[in-house]
Amino acid sequence: MTQNPTLTRRPISQTAKVLSLTPRGKNLYQLTLKLATLGPFADPGLFARLRSWGPAPAAYPLLDRPFSIHRYRPNQGELDFLIRPVGLGTNLLTQCRLGDPIQLLGPLGQGLGNLIPDYKNRPFYLVAGGVGLAPMANLIDQSKGPNHLFYGEREGQSLIDKAYLTSFAPNFTAVSEDGLGYGEKGLVTQSLKAALERERRTIFACGPQGLLAALAPLARSYGVNCYVAAEAYMACGLGVCLSCGHYLVDGSRIRLCQDGPVVDGLLMDWEKS
Amino acid sequence: MRPNLTVQIGSLTLKNPLIAASGVYGYGLELADFCPPESLGAVILKGISLTPWPGNPLPRAVEAAGGLVNAIGLENMGVKAFLTKALPPLKARKAVVGANVIGRTLDDYAQLAQILAQSPVDFLELNISCPNLAQGGLSFGSDPDQAARLTADAVKKAGDKPVVVKLPPLVTDIALLAQKVIDAGATAISLINTVPALVINPRTRRAALGNVTGGLSGPPIKPLALRQVYLAAKAVKAPVIGLGGIFSALDAAEFIVAGATAVQIGTAILADPGSPLTILKDLFDFFSQENIPSVPSLRGTLKGPNEP
Ligand SMILES: Cc1cc2nc3c(=O)[nH]c(=O)nc-3n(C[C@H](O)[C@H](O)[C@H](O)COP(=O)(O)OP(=O)(O)OC[C@H]3O[C@@H](n4cnc5c(N)ncnc54)[C@H](O)[C@@H]3O)c2cc1C
Ligand SMILES: Cc1cc2nc3c(=O)[nH]c(=O)nc-3n(C[C@H](O)[C@H](O)[C@H](O)COP(=O)(O)O)c2cc1C
Ligand code: FES
Repeated sequence: MTQNPTLTRRPISQTAKVLSLTPRGKNLYQLTLKLATLGPFADPGLFARLRSWGPAPAAYPLLDRPFSIHRYRPNQGELDFLIRPVGLGTNLLTQCRLGDPIQLLGPLGQGLGNLIPDYKNRPFYLVAGGVGLAPMANLIDQSKGPNHLFYGEREGQSLIDKAYLTSFAPNFTAVSEDGLGYGEKGLVTQSLKAALERERRTIFACGPQGLLAALAPLARSYGVNCYVAAEAYMACGLGVCLSCGHYLVDGSRIRLCQDGPVVDGLLMDWEKS
Repeated sequence: MRPNLTVQIGSLTLKNPLIAASGVYGYGLELADFCPPESLGAVILKGISLTPWPGNPLPRAVEAAGGLVNAIGLENMGVKAFLTKALPPLKARKAVVGANVIGRTLDDYAQLAQILAQSPVDFLELNISCPNLAQGGLSFGSDPDQAARLTADAVKKAGDKPVVVKLPPLVTDIALLAQKVIDAGATAISLINTVPALVINPRTRRAALGNVTGGLSGPPIKPLALRQVYLAAKAVKAPVIGLGGIFSALDAAEFIVAGATAVQIGTAILADPGSPLTILKDLFDFFSQENIPSVPSLRGTLKGPNEP
């Protein structure tokens, strides 16, 4: 993996406006922002810092929250996020009203294009766990394919609305661990393994660390590349606080917010964090 | 009249009293687009040790009580990479650069001081909140005599570089600690470092941080920091650099009133990387509006609520 301490792409700080906030499942929202300034948001896996509450310390939470770019429509100046409320910051963001100002800092990090410049022309197996689905739409929107998306939730009732999923992902397999909802019962890794048996393709994945860790041995055994958008708590997203430090298998360390979030999953030391 | 915000820390002249604190400004260039290092009085870089340190397991930070609790574990690139990679581009921009020095033994600090004495860094900040391995992990700063020895050794090796000693917040007698390190030859003291803290999830009965405990920073520690700065500034003639929860120009002014000559901005930079520039502009406005000509005219002017 190339470690890139100085990004050529510069994040922009801007005040965007809430254009729409659409429920996309039981506990999932698509937040569409009207940008004041366009930027290079397209590379899948890039993220941005968002804040819908006032500046600290007058308003809490203290820090902005990081979210993957879900979809980007530069011609309309629109940027989408897919947000699952899990705490104060995500609850505030998913309770915004139309027209509300959102402080946005981004794009941040390295996307898939940093590792595979011609990602638009490559066939992929896309693997998403939970809200790790967010950056997959960005790739599918740009890709000439063919792609197949494997999307899993722990609970079937948490699956994203099927109609919305179908609207951006023509080929998908949805699974859940409890077998509820429209998904088959099972794990994404099982469906992925069956697909790899039939045809080998590069993997692009996003989701909980356990899932990303489980993909590495699978990719190795089928001899395919495995790129992942990895998550860690990120206080700054700008490479200064080291709250996102992670080990590589060679023992060196990276900052996931700068050298990632998209990294070569086979180079990550998933045992040590 | 335009207020004069320059301040003097020993032989060092800072163009304004705002300093980026160690640990939130990386190695000095990451945030240059938001807050150019040369626009501040000085920037202090991430703590550096003799050899690279790996840091603590994840998660390394969590919000609590309106502040931030971190246990980064002083991960850093080591002094060699610091001198060859981080420092040259910063000095080329004419930034005033402080090196935050960390070690596990007294000798580590002295060795680092000797190495940095030959480098273009403008000053040293000894972070004495590190666990002293020889003393079973207690911080050097928790024992004033030990802190004085560490300071004296490092000052001897630092040549003509000003040496600032950064004090921890929770000590029996902050005035005594301040006196001891100044008597040992420190140019100035800075305080406070983060406040030891613990965040627990009661449902899982797990600590939030990989290191279990961490250090609290940000708005909730400001009153605690102000009190320690006030007591330390009364105890020593040398300059005091105040920090802890500074998010606005008024916060910075409070520290100066309490006795600080300069202030550092930490967690506020994580919340908004452009905040030091906003604070600087607002501080100029504050001095102008209040008709205060310079920082020394405001420094240490604290009175009780009923004093005439
Ligand atoms: C690169 C990246 C991309 C992400 N993309 C998405 C996305 O597209 N959609 C989505 O719903 N979520 C995404 N997340 C997760 C999202 O940032 C957290 O859910 C959110 O920050 C929680 O904030 P809160 O105030 O609601 O919760 P809190 O009550 O603060 O915390 C709830 C949980 O979220 C975690 N968390 C809190 N702050 C952060 C932070 N700054 N960074 C990472 N985790 C945090 C906490 O560790 C805790 O486990 C992403 C995270 C990262 C690092
Ligand atoms: C993420 C993070 C990393 C830090 N790293 C260091 C460090 O390497 N050396 C040091 O002396 N202080 C370090 N600190 C402490 C700050 O410099 C400062 O003393 C403390 O955060 C209080 O100031 P604040 O409330 O303005 O943040 C760190 C603080 C944070 C939040
Ligand atoms: S989140 Fe601060 S360095 Fe990565």
